[in-house]
Amino acid sequence: MVKLTIDNKQVEIEDGATILAAAIKAGIHIPTLCYNEELTPAGACRLCVVEIVSEKDPVTVSSCNYPVGEGMIVSTTSEAVIKARRIAIEVLLAQNPNSSIIKKIAGSLGIEAGRFTIGKDCSHGCILCRLCVRTCQEVVGLSAITFEAQGLERDNNGAHVAWDEEACIACGSCAFVCPTDAVTTVDEGDKRIIQTPTAKMVFALKACTKCGSYYAPEKQLAYMAKTANLPLEKFDLCMDCRD
Amino acid sequence: MQNLNVFAPRLLEKAEAFSPGHRACIGCGEVLAVRLAAKAMGKNLIMVNATGCMEIIASQIPNTNWNVPWIHTLFENTAAVASGVGSGLKVLMRKGRIPQEEINVAAIGGDGATLDIGLQALSGAMERGHKFLYICFDNEAYMNTGVQRSSATPFGASTTTSPAGKNSFGQFSWKKDMPAIAVAHNIPYVATACPSYPFDMIRKIKKAQTFDGPSYIQVFSVCPTGWRTAGDISIRLGRLAVETAVFPLYEVENGKYKLSMDFPKLKPLTDYTKPQGRFRHLSPEVLAQIQEKVLQKYDELKAKTALDEVKP
Repeated sequence: MVKLTIDNKQVEIEDGATILAAAIKAGIHIPTLCYNEELTPAGACRLCVVEIVSEKDPVTVSSCNYPVGEGMIVSTTSEAVIKARRIAIEVLLAQNPNSSIIKKIAGSLGIEAGRFTIGKDCSHGCILCRLCVRTCQEVVGLSAITFEAQGLERDNNGAHVAWDEEACIACGSCAFVCPTDAVTTVDEGDKRIIQTPTAKMVFALKACTKCGSYYAPEKQLAYMAKTANLPLEKFDLCMDCRD
Repeated sequence: MQNLNVFAPRLLEKAEAFSPGHRACIGCGEVLAVRLAAKAMGKNLIMVNATGCMEIIASQIPNTNWNVPWIHTLFENTAAVASGVGSGLKVLMRKGRIPQEEINVAAIGGDGATLDIGLQALSGAMERGHKFLYICFDNEAYMNTGVQRSSATPFGASTTTSPAGKNSFGQFSWKKDMPAIAVAHNIPYVATACPSYPFDMIRKIKKAQTFDGPSYIQVFSVCPTGWRTAGDISIRLGRLAVETAVFPLYEVENGKYKLSMDFPKLKPLTDYTKPQGRFRHLSPEVLAQIQEKVLQKYDELKAKTALDEVKP
């Protein structure tokens, strides 16, 4: 166990945990957009910055991927933190001026309108937080979503995320995890429509053989049958018709 | 509504504001709903709990299941206490005694504490416009004290105070439409939810907290003990109640109705009533009468949503 101090509060947490995990344990709120405790941290949104004041030269780090250290003294409200956080949210606000969650976080930091504008069409809503990419890889076990335009080709105002329609099983986890609703999923009749920032994908839903209601995407059921090593007929019935 | 039942649950928050080890019956739908609601509301919360099952099973001295500040109140003053907590926080923040931050206030109660005994206090709190969320866990009778009828008990259900027998077919009045009463107070957000649709329920509770005013959510909670059903079909019964339109899921945002899920074809009412002991005595004529009323109510609701639907 490691003992550290966050905002004058003593926290004890197991070795190897992150500062953000310690802050959550202590009940200290740090805004985040790209963090989910199930996924490996990405450090993409830069909103979770904190200052380690116990260092000889105080440093500002992203708390979601910075491990705790014995006797560390952390501030989540210092001047440097607020400045870094305000710039981060202003950049995000320029990328995505219509997102309610970004507007809410900006409002809590006292920002009504950001200083920056991109001047291009950013209506896709993607802030490149990589939550969907990590979810598809780590939770679903596929890699149907990838980042494109690596290196110099990458700029901050494009939705450089690509869905592989072949590999996608239409489970909708990416839409669930997306903080800005850049990906959405809707079930319409016998079709599931997944709208990504760049494309629209349509998948067939499976009808229950007993009651006829459409209850899950066919590709998802095939994937589940494969991973669970069960015959596909096991998934013929919907949840209500199964015994 | 999205059907995200396989991978997305792993992405939900893992911290439990309502911890395991409570004393609820096997198969309780209400305690599942409370757990999901507590998860959705986050840590910065003060919970006001009316007397009822959820108070009894979670707070036997010296133990408690709540990991958030929690107040037990009487049946009749839950909403009044919640509005007082909200006002108290406001004053303390204004005087600088506690730091300025967003602290959510929520009140929970059963259908008896909400529709019958606590209605007056709730009506007052909603009318005064306090910022709080009231969640009614509707299991359709006074279950904690031994299944007495309440005004939420559906027509025809047998309870200990509306027993089925030679001279009676059970509950003699129709279920009170509490969401409509809440809508009539012109509050910003009213919704119905069911723990059988956990993502829908979590989304509605999170949404309710964003409004600057009172919000009301009625949660359909299956009670295997009082409804005389098997404990392992609680989730299915919740789904059946929605699929037969006995308890349709909808939300009312600033007076605008919106159905959360619509079905091309509703299931027959008997699918829902058959597994339940409280409806076992009903004759086909009474069932047909109930079916007619259910469809009539659903059509009325659909007419309201059709009026408010904004075409994209």
